[in-house]
Amino acid sequence: MNRKSVVSWGVNLFLTLGSLIAMFPIYMAVINSFKSDGEMFRSFLSLPQAISFTNYIEAFTRLDMLNSSINSATVSILGIAGILLCASLAGYKLSRTSGRISGFIFMLFIASMLVPFHSIMIPLTRMAKTLHASGSIYGLSVIYIGLGVNMAVFLYHGFVKSIPRELEEAAYMDGCGELKMYFKIIFPLLLPITVTIAILDFLWIWNDFLLPLIMITDTTQYTLILSTNVLFGEYNKEWSLILSSLVLTALPVIIIYVFFQRYIMEGITEGAVKG
Amino acid sequence: MVQKGHKKYVSLLAFVAPAFILYLLFLLIPTINGLYYSLTSWNGLNSSYRFIGFDNFVELFTEDPYFLDSIWFTLKYVACMVIFQNVIALLIAVLIESRKKSKGLFRTLFFMPNMLSLIISAFMWTFIFTQVFPELAERTVLTFLGQAWIGDPKYSFIAILIISLWNGVGYMMIIYLAGLQGVPQHLKEAAVIDGANIYQQFWHVTLPMITHAITICLFLTLNGAFKVYEVVYGLTGGGPGRSTQVITMNIFEEAFSNNYRYGYASAKSVILFIIVLVFTVIQLRLTKRKEIES
Repeated sequence: MNRKSVVSWGVNLFLTLGSLIAMFPIYMAVINSFKSDGEMFRSFLSLPQAISFTNYIEAFTRLDMLNSSINSATVSILGIAGILLCASLAGYKLSRTSGRISGFIFMLFIASMLVPFHSIMIPLTRMAKTLHASGSIYGLSVIYIGLGVNMAVFLYHGFVKSIPRELEEAAYMDGCGELKMYFKIIFPLLLPITVTIAILDFLWIWNDFLLPLIMITDTTQYTLILSTNVLFGEYNKEWSLILSSLVLTALPVIIIYVFFQRYIMEGITEGAVKG
Repeated sequence: MVQKGHKKYVSLLAFVAPAFILYLLFLLIPTINGLYYSLTSWNGLNSSYRFIGFDNFVELFTEDPYFLDSIWFTLKYVACMVIFQNVIALLIAVLIESRKKSKGLFRTLFFMPNMLSLIISAFMWTFIFTQVFPELAERTVLTFLGQAWIGDPKYSFIAILIISLWNGVGYMMIIYLAGLQGVPQHLKEAAVIDGANIYQQFWHVTLPMITHAITICLFLTLNGAFKVYEVVYGLTGGGPGRSTQVITMNIFEEAFSNNYRYGYASAKSVILFIIVLVFTVIQLRLTKRKEIES
């Protein structure tokens, strides 16, 4: 073997070992989620004797994970729909309007992207209480729209620049109203960036922990992550249940990842290059 | 279309209002209120509060050793993250970029942990550290895995780093990969013809060409690492004692679990904001200068 292929084998070995380490915790969580506590404590490393969904069924029945799943899905869908609608309208118009006012508003949106969430969480809880937005998943979704529009406006604003103005002018000549024109002509053209924003915001809202933690106290309004957190916080950790709820919480994002990998990676590089 | 006069503003207002109002209520006003509260004695138990100037800031620097400890601990964490996260991500990106067939597969696998929520990552790794590693240490040659990962602050720090890196490296790797794809092939070929070895190629051709990606990744790492919360919360909860408490956790404790001193906790939030701002501005200045040079 010549020197070049030895190096190449070394690189392959290194990358393979690295990706095994990266996958190891997920693999361990998945295989152990099929075991009973007893089987688990005999050995964590061995494969489960049988694929049994007992833990998952118990999580759904005893811990009401179904309700938490529905809550998580509701918050994500409402939040994303709101962000897409509000931010695309604003991003489009700000991109098409020149002048000091529109420039100032855009700059406000951008500047706020630097504010750490921890720096606003205390005043935010107070504001949410005043507006009766705390305590329910619907209020939570509205808060997500408020926190999420800045990034989305920024991405829409950049994308709209690539759409020729002639389309709008032609529609305008035909006597099309402005809002109608927006929904009939512009919004469909924004589809690629809309998909990217929807996926990035889904990952953010589904995975978010702190905002639901400070806003939601009623267990019927818990998101999946909050339910898992309570389970994890118990003194006698029931690992079989914890692991199955971890897998349940992670499953949707992994599925999204498998199908929309390209959009996610493009979204990251796009956001990074422009930012 | 060109609209004149006030009609232009009416239509601007109509399109921007939904986004702007929600942004105003839940982001802009809370930001400004936070600054104001930091100058008051407001606490959650008492509805009346008064303006006390910079007293909160004086107190947190002179009478609050736990807060100063949490700043120090966070700074150590940030320094390690900035170095390790970027070195590892760049190394993996360079190696993946050199593959042909397996490039896509490795990229998918290395990025996957980043999809999981930080808190879920922390719970998952707690299982690994407390249950799986002891077994591995006992049954295999990997005896070094049998440490008191949660009980001993020294090892907890390493464990916190491992979880954060496991989750975060993939994200930086994607940005470095995009940067590496922008390096023109003919430059590398020219270097090879001039007799540059693989290290010289990396130091003198590749690295100067990806300074923009480095700037971005350093910025994102700094920005994210100062806000670390979930990983520490999930793994150690700040313990044992307060030995692994980070800034955000100290703020959280002050505001929501101990004393409900919202005014005082707001002052700490302002300090966090200033620290992040100062560090990122300095970093951007320094690396931008490098970008122009190269």
